[in-house]
Order: sequence, then C-alpha cells, then structure tokens
Amino acid sequence: MARLNDDAQWIVLMGFIVSFSLFFLAILINQSTVVGQTTAEAVSEFPKNDIRGVRGALIESTLLDDESLFQNKTTVQDEIKILALSRQNAVVNISSVTIGEYTYTEIHYNNGVTGYNETYTYP
Amino acid sequence: MVNDRGQLYTIEGIAAALILLVTAYFVVNSTSVYTPGDTHISDMQLEVLGTDALAMMDTMPNTTVGKSPLRQIVEQDDASRFNTLFPKTINARTGGMQDDVQYTVNVTYVVPNTESSIGSFHLANSSRPFTGTEHAVRVSRWVLVEGGFPGCSATSCQGKHAALVEVLVWRD
Repeated sequence: MARLNDDAQWIVLMGFIVSFSLFFLAILINQSTVVGQTTAEAVSEFPKNDIRGVRGALIESTLLDDESLFQNKTTVQDEIKILALSRQNAVVNISSVTIGEYTYTEIHYNNGVTGYNETYTYP
Repeated sequence: MVNDRGQLYTIEGIAAALILLVTAYFVVNSTSVYTPGDTHISDMQLEVLGTDALAMMDTMPNTTVGKSPLRQIVEQDDASRFNTLFPKTINARTGGMQDDVQYTVNVTYVVPNTESSIGSFHLANSSRPFTGTEHAVRVSRWVLVEGGFPGCSATSCQGKHAALVEVLVWRD
C-alpha cells in the first residue's frame, strides 16, 4: 500500500466486525426456528399415550391367571401383542419371573423410533 | 495513468454489500418456516383432552366393584351411551358455551379362536360424519372385555379378551 492514505483502517475494521456480528445474529434467528420445529415434532411423535396404554393393559393382564376357565391370561397378552403390532406399529413383549415372594415382570415396547423397557415388581 | 488510491474503499464496499445481502437472505428465509412448529400445540391439546375423556369413561364409580362404563359400552356395542358420556367430557367448558369437538370410534380386536386375525367394528360417531379431510388426532384406550364381539357368543369365546378403542377427534 505504498503512498496510500491508511488513516481509516479502524473504520474499515469496525465495519467488518459489525457486519460479521449481524451475520451471526441472523444465523441464530435461522437456527431457532429449526430448533422449535424439531422439538415440537419430537414431542408429538413421542408415543407417550401408546406406551401408557400398553403398559396399563399388560400390568392388568398379569393380575389374571390361566387356571380358571374365564381368566385367560396368555390369550389376553398375545392379543395385546398382535393388536399393538397391527394398530400402533409397535413390537411389544412381556415376560415374568418369580424370585422369592416377588414377581418381576419385564415389559418391552419398541416402535422403531422409541423404545421403552420396564421391570415391574409385584407385589 | 489511473489513480489507484481508492482501492481499499472499493473492496470494503463490495464486502459489506455481500455480507448485507447474505444476512438479508438468511433473515427472509428463516421467517417462512415458522408456522409448522406451532400447529402441533393445538393437536397435542386435543389429544390430551381425548385421552382424559376416555380415561374417565374407563374409571369405575367409587362405590361399586365392577366394570367401567367404557367396558360395558364395548361389550354391549352401546353407541348411544358412548354418545352421551364422551361429548359431556370433551365438550365441557367453563361457562355455558359448549365446545364443538367431533369424533368417530372404532374398536379393534383379535377375532376369537383365530391365531392373529384382526377384526374391528365401528362403535359410535358424533353428529357430523368423518369424511377424511379433517385434521384429526387419534386417541386410544386398551380395555379387557368379556365377549361382545361380532360372531362371539358366550360359549364361543369365553374369558377376557383385549380390545383397543380408538377415537379420532377433531374440531369442526
């Protein structure tokens, strides 16, 4: 920059700084809308009520038994698995083991996006 | 001979113009995607409302040991009772005005004495029919019922069976 007047270098630098800060603020505004949308989608796609329903029905089914004629526990649990797969697109499984005086029932739910596992202890 | 003393100012001008243009592009571009994030809120509210209404119908009165109203409705295919109980909850508002929420109900079950054949029947619906263009949300409730399915007499399918009550709810 021979023989060029360089008195205004600070003004040029400030110009750049202000421009870049505006640029980053714009990126922040842009990202905030994307964040809002993905959060809302994640909330509405999360199958909270489906999991609650399956869990409630399975726990209720564990209170039945297979001995009496009108209490078909295995049938009910199979029906819950079939219906969950067909209507809610979810794989559901249940298994229980009794150790001592407690029965541990494992409940699994998976619809490909959300998985839920629980060990339910009774009594 | 051309004078080259203004070169730095020219470069600064071009850079500032480019940055302003890109900034304006980002700002204008971002505002147009604002709406999809907000439409879910009313859907979620309607879903909670419907789920709570079904939960209340599946709750037995304090003083009796027996089946909840929803279970009796599914077992007896009682559309008129559903049409009495469900709108009472879902259309209730503080104050006199009633809300105008519409619904249609299907019950899905495994056909008795088959391995995995799915059957369903239409239980009830509100005054306006479901045409398919509504923006409906789905709420559901599992019930364990005894009999009460089409083609299911007292002797052919004994014991309890699982059924899924699904309600489509929308505002009209």
